[in-house]
Amino acid sequence: MSRIVDVLVVGSGLAGLVAALTAAEQGRSVRLLTTGMGSLAISGGSVDFLGYADSRLASDPWQSLALLPEDHPYRLMGTESVRTAFKFFSDTMEKQHWPMRPALAQDGTPRNTQLPTIMGTLKPTYLLPASLNTQAMASAKKVLVLSVHGLRDCQPALVVSQLKRYKSWADREFTQGLLPSPFGETHRAITALDLARLTDKPQSRQWLLDALAPYAGKYDLILMPPLCGSKANPEVWQAVNAAAGCPVVEMLSIPPGVGGLRLRDALLNALHKHDFELVENTTVLRAETADKNCTSVLAEASGQQRRHAARAFVTATGGILGGGMVLEPGQCWDSVFKIDITVPQDVTLWSEPQIFGNHLFSRMGVRVDREMRPVDAAAAVRWQNVFFAGRSLGGYDYATEKSGHGVAIATGWQAGRMAAAAAAAGEKQ
Amino acid sequence: MSVRINPDKCIACTTCVVHCPVAEATPKFLGPRMIGPAYERFRLLGLTEDPSLHYCANCKNCDISCPHGVPVSSLNMMARADQFKKHSPGLRDWVLGHGELMAKWLRLIPAIIKNFGMLNPVTRTVLDALGIDKRAPLPAFAPQTFRQLMRHVHQPDHKRSVVFYPGCYVDVYDPRTGLDMVWAMNRAGYKVIVPEELVCCGLPMVANGFWQHARSNAEHNLKALGLWRDAGLPVVTGCPSCALMFRVDLPEYFPDLADKYGACRLADAQEFLLDAVDSGDLSLKTDGKHTNLPDLKLIYHAPCHLRAQGNGLPGLELLRRLDGVTVENADAGCCGISGSYGFKKEKYDIAQTVGSELFAKVRESGAQAAVSECGTCRVQITHGSGKFSLHPVSILRQRLEAR
Repeated sequence: MSRIVDVLVVGSGLAGLVAALTAAEQGRSVRLLTTGMGSLAISGGSVDFLGYADSRLASDPWQSLALLPEDHPYRLMGTESVRTAFKFFSDTMEKQHWPMRPALAQDGTPRNTQLPTIMGTLKPTYLLPASLNTQAMASAKKVLVLSVHGLRDCQPALVVSQLKRYKSWADREFTQGLLPSPFGETHRAITALDLARLTDKPQSRQWLLDALAPYAGKYDLILMPPLCGSKANPEVWQAVNAAAGCPVVEMLSIPPGVGGLRLRDALLNALHKHDFELVENTTVLRAETADKNCTSVLAEASGQQRRHAARAFVTATGGILGGGMVLEPGQCWDSVFKIDITVPQDVTLWSEPQIFGNHLFSRMGVRVDREMRPVDAAAAVRWQNVFFAGRSLGGYDYATEKSGHGVAIATGWQAGRMAAAAAAAGEKQ
Repeated sequence: MSVRINPDKCIACTTCVVHCPVAEATPKFLGPRMIGPAYERFRLLGLTEDPSLHYCANCKNCDISCPHGVPVSSLNMMARADQFKKHSPGLRDWVLGHGELMAKWLRLIPAIIKNFGMLNPVTRTVLDALGIDKRAPLPAFAPQTFRQLMRHVHQPDHKRSVVFYPGCYVDVYDPRTGLDMVWAMNRAGYKVIVPEELVCCGLPMVANGFWQHARSNAEHNLKALGLWRDAGLPVVTGCPSCALMFRVDLPEYFPDLADKYGACRLADAQEFLLDAVDSGDLSLKTDGKHTNLPDLKLIYHAPCHLRAQGNGLPGLELLRRLDGVTVENADAGCCGISGSYGFKKEKYDIAQTVGSELFAKVRESGAQAAVSECGTCRVQITHGSGKFSLHPVSILRQRLEAR
């Protein structure tokens, strides 16, 4: 590890990848260190921007931003910056031939979509692959719910019985269907990813097209698990929709995250066009700082410590499960910079009795200024060239707000942009 | 083995299943999450083994992708060793696990006869019956091993020395790469010592279930390497799998040996050279009269065992610093071979499926050659794509020595 890079990003979740790409597109050299593959491997692939604000469903999420607390990352950045970040992400996906767009209301304003999950519940989400026909979803009368034999995770009967409980879906005419498995009897339960990977390849795609043929033209809408390829490839979509003879909507699925892999694929493809280096299987232990700057991070890799020097740093290490935050009774700190995160001494206060409630542990995280630089208790910037992004930030609750990927994109973009500027300033000195 | 790994750090997030090339290629494999941590819980209770354990290629993409640092592949290898204690592995697996020993036994036979003996259609049919697929690209023996050749190499009298561990592939099949490495180290101002006493790192033995042989090789190597380490000499290897074995696997598999002999980490030779470039010891200016070499377009494949080391891709970085060379990172996952895995009859097709994305990228790249640090990856790439392939250090030498 000899080269001093402009921007060093820690973490390869959505926030880390967006930060890396933002900095790289500004002409900066970028190195990304990662433990594991990041949460996109378990993501459904749509972008939740803001599903609920102040416990109310947000149909127009932009309108609902004002209801968020002042220290929420969106509020810190300001609506205009969040818009620019989303535009950056959408443009990137457009260039990668995997457009991600919001559904539009009658008056043309973007709004949240209630997308069905394979559990038959509805989840508000914002950016969807453009191939998902939201108009058809809203208006379809005859709906076919499909799964595949051997795909235990998706049971059409459950989807139908659950969906019928929602007013918007109650009076539709549902049919259930089970496609034959292209694998026959298998040693393990198959997943949507196994099937999507078959659909990736033109030579094995035919199984899905053939399986859909008996249903073609008989329905207004087909709901199915994510089977239309594991890569950001619109060709697969066109073929599947043509074979179905009606719009196909993929329901949000549990891991493995087929949809998330499409996003990861697109972002990495974009990154590899730049001066970008991915260092896998390494864990950052701590940062080395001098006065108001960070000079390097120390990482552990295959039993040895390595120093990674850079001009600016983005930390997108995730939350408690992702390893970005470390908890002990009465204490919490971020794993790289060891910034203390204030928490009550009494750990019983960290959670709520309501399991689906807004728990303190899901809002814990590093406090930053509007440029995503961590601040101390007196709101003073700790280091000039360190920026945080994604779930390691405090002040938002992705689980109750349904805002995880949205915050990752917005703060990743902001952190990447600011890190690029800090690196440019550092280079001049 | 003296320590078992706690499987309970696994939260069953399935990230490893997503990135397992074998699970992608065949539904016959239960997948890393199930075979590794989930079955480990059964194993600790003394319950039976899952029959698909043998499909694990030990490529370590599960370890690379795990967000919680669970060494999934090690769980699999330990389970395989346990299984082979009860049912000994067959002759085929012995042969594939002991390439170095075989080469030693056959040393007195000239390579041309050896290769005729090993690679002719009759032998291939016999090997095929034994379980080594006749389509598999078995590498040919070199006329002389790297270590035999090294005895006659005249090196400049540099003050600084570096110890080079060639690894079996370079020693037995590909001495050219070893000589290129010596040339590069010499150019960087180091005399190269190639100890005769070092043996195979043991990775092929582990992968094929010969735990005790791997252990005795490990003990032999650690004892020998300890002496060089204590003498203050850097020990490097150009082979990612050997490096990974010494760095990560040996301390995990045989913690008592690691305690007894201390850490013996092989440094990555490509990183060593890159550092030499940075410090000014190694010049990347060409020696030849023709400074305007034709441009060279390459495609690089990162071996899984290199990615698992968390060391980045120093070989790629080195190539990118050469004048007139453009290198595309294929970034297409595993090549499928995993040492000897892809030679096995019941796994040949899986290995070809795993490598197919890489082969297609290599073919479509328009590159003049493919580059990778790993010897068997190179064999597999050439077999699958038809494209000639080289170690980065060979490109380095070709470009700098050009006349």
